[in-house]
Amino acid sequence: MAGEGRRKLTPYLLTLPGVGFLVVFFAIPMATVFSVSFQEGSLSQGFTFTGHWQNYTDTLARYDTQLIRSLMVGLIVTIMTLVISYPMMYWIAFRGGRRKNIYLLLILLPFFTPFLIRTLMWKTIFADEGILLGFLKDVGLVSDSYQVLATMTAVISGMVYNFLPFMALPLYVSLEKMDPRLLDAAADLYSSKRQAFLKVTLPLSYPGLFAGSLLTFIPAVGDPINPELLGGVNTTMIGQVVQREMLTNNAYPRGSAISFMLMAVILIGVFLYARVLGTEEMTG
Amino acid sequence: MDREREFAKLLAEAPRRGMTRRDLLRRVGLGAGAASLTAFLAACGISKEDTTTEEGEKNTLTTTEEVGNLNFANWPLYIDRSQGTRPTIDDFTEATGITVNYKEVIDDNEGFFGTIQEPLSNDQAVEWDMIVVTDWMIAKMARLGYLEELDHEQLPNFTANAGAIYKDPGYDPGNKYSVPWQSGITGVAYNPELTGRELTSFDDLFDPAFAGKVGMFKEMRDTISLTMLSMGVEPSESTEDDLVAAQQKLLQQRDDGIVRNYYGNEYADALVRGDIWATMAWSGDVFQLQFDQPELQFYVPDTGGILWVDNMAIPDNAAAPIDAMRFMDYVYDPEVAAQITAWVNYICPVPAAQEILASAKDKYTQTVANSPLVFPTPEMEANLHHYKDLDEDEEARWNDLFGEIIQG
Repeated sequence: MAGEGRRKLTPYLLTLPGVGFLVVFFAIPMATVFSVSFQEGSLSQGFTFTGHWQNYTDTLARYDTQLIRSLMVGLIVTIMTLVISYPMMYWIAFRGGRRKNIYLLLILLPFFTPFLIRTLMWKTIFADEGILLGFLKDVGLVSDSYQVLATMTAVISGMVYNFLPFMALPLYVSLEKMDPRLLDAAADLYSSKRQAFLKVTLPLSYPGLFAGSLLTFIPAVGDPINPELLGGVNTTMIGQVVQREMLTNNAYPRGSAISFMLMAVILIGVFLYARVLGTEEMTG
Repeated sequence: MDREREFAKLLAEAPRRGMTRRDLLRRVGLGAGAASLTAFLAACGISKEDTTTEEGEKNTLTTTEEVGNLNFANWPLYIDRSQGTRPTIDDFTEATGITVNYKEVIDDNEGFFGTIQEPLSNDQAVEWDMIVVTDWMIAKMARLGYLEELDHEQLPNFTANAGAIYKDPGYDPGNKYSVPWQSGITGVAYNPELTGRELTSFDDLFDPAFAGKVGMFKEMRDTISLTMLSMGVEPSESTEDDLVAAQQKLLQQRDDGIVRNYYGNEYADALVRGDIWATMAWSGDVFQLQFDQPELQFYVPDTGGILWVDNMAIPDNAAAPIDAMRFMDYVYDPEVAAQITAWVNYICPVPAAQEILASAKDKYTQTVANSPLVFPTPEMEANLHHYKDLDEDEEARWNDLFGEIIQG
């Protein structure tokens, strides 16, 4: 019957805007980049598809240091945001009481300022003779040649600062919806506080932890802005490499190849991570 | 006469305009990162075929008439301003009836090129009738067939008033595609209070005594060219061996821990903050910085500095090429040139502007007129060199080797 046929189609029709969006803004660009990554040529002669897979091996050989560095930085940033935000969010979710929303707002407040401005302010704060280091040097707490800017420390700190909400908010959501009476129940069953945390609270926060880690790790690995603004000599990350290959060298095939490699590495990492944490927890 | 008086009044205002170009730079510098991202996204679309360089295609102007509107893309803070208006633009509109849509959209050559490359490579028009890009980019765009030829009969002021070194330059023989807008010197700036001694050479930037306190440029042409000059090599005559030798010298400098960072425009802030003691620098910036920090010094290295020239040019298939040429000619009127230079403080391509500025009553304008950073002395000029005109393969090679230095 016609009515039934339409009813069968309805779910598909409902997904149409979403699918259309993905095709136009994800599938087609991805296919283009993938195709470009196998092309050869130059700006004046145009680029043609020749199946030039050496784009991958050449760039990997050239930029392996930067790729590994980016993955390491992504990992460190993820762990640091986790270590910082977990206790914070735990406290707000379980001890925040009626002021939970105010505390959350306080955490988000700095992020109402644009990303670029916040990061540039760091340059003023951490200048060699600036308000912070200048003072520390005057009182003799650090040596005169000590610097924060243009070092890996600055890059990682900047990222931890900038990506904190991406970790904190998913954690908060999963902790907040946990029923506190579960902890009472655990205590009734003679569990210590530590055991209750490890066997009840932590597993229940896995979905938030999983989502938060991905939301932090993936952008952190590819981020060109923090290393560009806060980094210096020998702190180059893969996002900057892609930017330079694309914009300065106009070497679109090489830039595309690096982008694809980065994506593959991240996908594999995420897959392994999901296997370890378990897909059930992943979806909550 | 009237114009002269108006101009003198404007100049007199200069010191109390309250906002120098430097202040503005500080404010707008924030946009640079975002702009490059846009350019990056725009550059992602790649044309498969390039039609403009095919033989037999005739490069003709879209019109030989004035259109009455000019879309002009320029760099931030690169034209005079007064209380929210741009006097030169307004005067031009008054004199010619041509309205100008002036946009400060160019933050760096490559990023801007990324935004116009796609349509130009498909032989389509871009939204600009006139752009300002650096000399080597002019050469690159001309080679790719992305620029319209200029009709010099429309440019009598240029012929009459442009300085000799700006005519028939190596990057654009016969000024076929471009005329200079402003130019500047790449040299070295330092703070004597921090270095503790006078610097004169480029090799001073390699002094281990300044370890971690030296700034270098991430602008490939500037850094490599000055390094080559310091090794006694004329950049325009350099060979592959010279390039490799220059790279080795720069790698050594980096690995010895002498370089703090490779900077773009932000080197100026680092110099002011004291993060770096000595750095490669652009003359116009240092002139501005000296108002706040008179102790800062700029010099052309004894082995030679680089004179770069930003040029006006008309992109291929522009809608209003004649209007663009009228503007080009208009700014070669010495008084107009003086008006722009008084505010912009880069090197003016019209020598006659110096006298006009020197005759102004106020001290600020006289400082501009007498500064060797705005009107270089003959000795300085004699020690200035040009970038090498790199073909596509060379450029890729230079970028590759330079990338290894700055992207360690």
